[in-house]
Amino acid sequence: METSLAQGELVGEMEMDAYRRLFPLRFYERYLLESLRPDTRPLIQCRDTSVALGPVASADGSALAKIGCTTMLAGIKLEVMTPVAESPDDGCIAIEFHMPPICSAIVRPGRPAEVAPVISKQLTDAILSSGMINLKELSLIHGKAAWMAYLDVYCLDSDGSLFDAALLAAVAAFSHLQIPLVSLNDEGRVVTVSAELGEGKSSKEVVNKEKRKLKLTNIPFSLSFVLHKKYILVDPNAEEESIMDSLVTVVLDLSGRLVSLYKPGGQVLAYTSTLKDCVALARNRGKELKKILDDALLDMEEDSS
Amino acid sequence: MGVEAAMAGKAANAPTTYSPSPSQKPARPIFEDVDWVRADGRNFHECRPAFMKTGAANAASGSAYAEFGNTKVIVSVFGPRESKKAMLYSDIGRLNCNVSFTTFAAPTRGQGSDNKDFSSMLHKALEGAIILESFPKTTVDVFALVLESGGSDLPVVVSCASLALADAGIMMYDLVAAVSVSCIRKSLIIDPSSDEESYQDGSLMITCMPSRNEVTQLTLTGEWSTPKIHEAMELCLDACSKLGKLLRTCLRDAASV
Repeated sequence: METSLAQGELVGEMEMDAYRRLFPLRFYERYLLESLRPDTRPLIQCRDTSVALGPVASADGSALAKIGCTTMLAGIKLEVMTPVAESPDDGCIAIEFHMPPICSAIVRPGRPAEVAPVISKQLTDAILSSGMINLKELSLIHGKAAWMAYLDVYCLDSDGSLFDAALLAAVAAFSHLQIPLVSLNDEGRVVTVSAELGEGKSSKEVVNKEKRKLKLTNIPFSLSFVLHKKYILVDPNAEEESIMDSLVTVVLDLSGRLVSLYKPGGQVLAYTSTLKDCVALARNRGKELKKILDDALLDMEEDSS
Repeated sequence: MGVEAAMAGKAANAPTTYSPSPSQKPARPIFEDVDWVRADGRNFHECRPAFMKTGAANAASGSAYAEFGNTKVIVSVFGPRESKKAMLYSDIGRLNCNVSFTTFAAPTRGQGSDNKDFSSMLHKALEGAIILESFPKTTVDVFALVLESGGSDLPVVVSCASLALADAGIMMYDLVAAVSVSCIRKSLIIDPSSDEESYQDGSLMITCMPSRNEVTQLTLTGEWSTPKIHEAMELCLDACSKLGKLLRTCLRDAASV
């Protein structure tokens, strides 16, 4: 601790901002000693989180998720495909994560973000391996037609914990998704029908009789951390992620089962006890996120009724 | 059997899909009547309700979100930053524009790729309004993402971009307001929706600096008669000056909070 005195003098002499830019890690460590962060959060507090359902009318399901400044827009488009022979009753889900140039100064047209494909893969893994969606629910006609759900998540503003916000937006978009009424036309193609038309034209076979939603089970929620020395910082922002490079992401489903755990390198060796703490924190966060999602669904039902 | 082979196999197996919406549009509906009404109940010379807000994205130097009816657009401005080394020395600043769409912006799923056409139109619409001398040797990036395409996309992008530039503190002679008019048979309708655009015989877009009464861009496509062009221009300019006031109010509100 003998260095802290010298550092203290240095802080006095220098402008706060300059010190923050020149010695970011030392700047942070001074805060960590007080169990605080420069944005006034305690170490284990997440930023304000909100979910809005149905912001984009042209998508079959959509959601906007915000964690602090990090903003994600997820949209789902349903298209019809012929299921593969091995699983004639299964639909399919294709997931892609985009970082358009608007989201951050480091992304420009022709210079895409390196993390985008990584997060794409993580999202696909988390959503498919959690078993949140029963692919049989996406079936239309056995062996002939099934839904292909294209989920695209766009980062509109990037300020850390991108995967957490992307997963939240993706899950919310699936819970907003409504499967439209469709029938077979004369050429054997599946076409949408409006509700009134569906009743009137009894000659055509209505494949999907009513608008319905998917049943989501084992919904995955995630929480990211940065580790520095003995400290665990929950829900890091972009600055924290760039200064302390040991990132851990824990994905749990609602019953507390571990869906995935990422610790892609970094300086700090994550001890098992640290990881246990992380899992416990992620479990609590999952409950919080579930409540935020349920409230958004309730709001939407109240609006529509 | 390497990863590449597996990837190639995956790509080959990717199922072909199609959108279930009926491919045939209902026959040209009501425009034949003399007194048809617009699907959303607007008057021919009435714009859609507009909502605009600056400071939509924190990571950018300046940004704005605009919603005109179902058209939803977000624009971020970055910079000024150092121009690429490869570029020749220039004592005025450079403007770099890019417009892209989300894959779910339109009724049928798109590729979500850059729209080169719109990017260059946006560049030319803004160029004249920005005081490029105020940031020599540097580049300002203007990036737009159309979240939902509900018609008159380019005019909304242009107006939104000028707000974002103002939010970023880039010096301009004036804000740029943009409005388009569609000509369907004998009628002129302002601020057309996607459906109306798909039936139009001709279209006119004006981007202008309302308080200086200067037009930065004018595009005219399709069939027009000279008197109709004059009428459409009057309509556009009038709407631009009203939109200009809206843009100003939006900036003033943001500054007073």
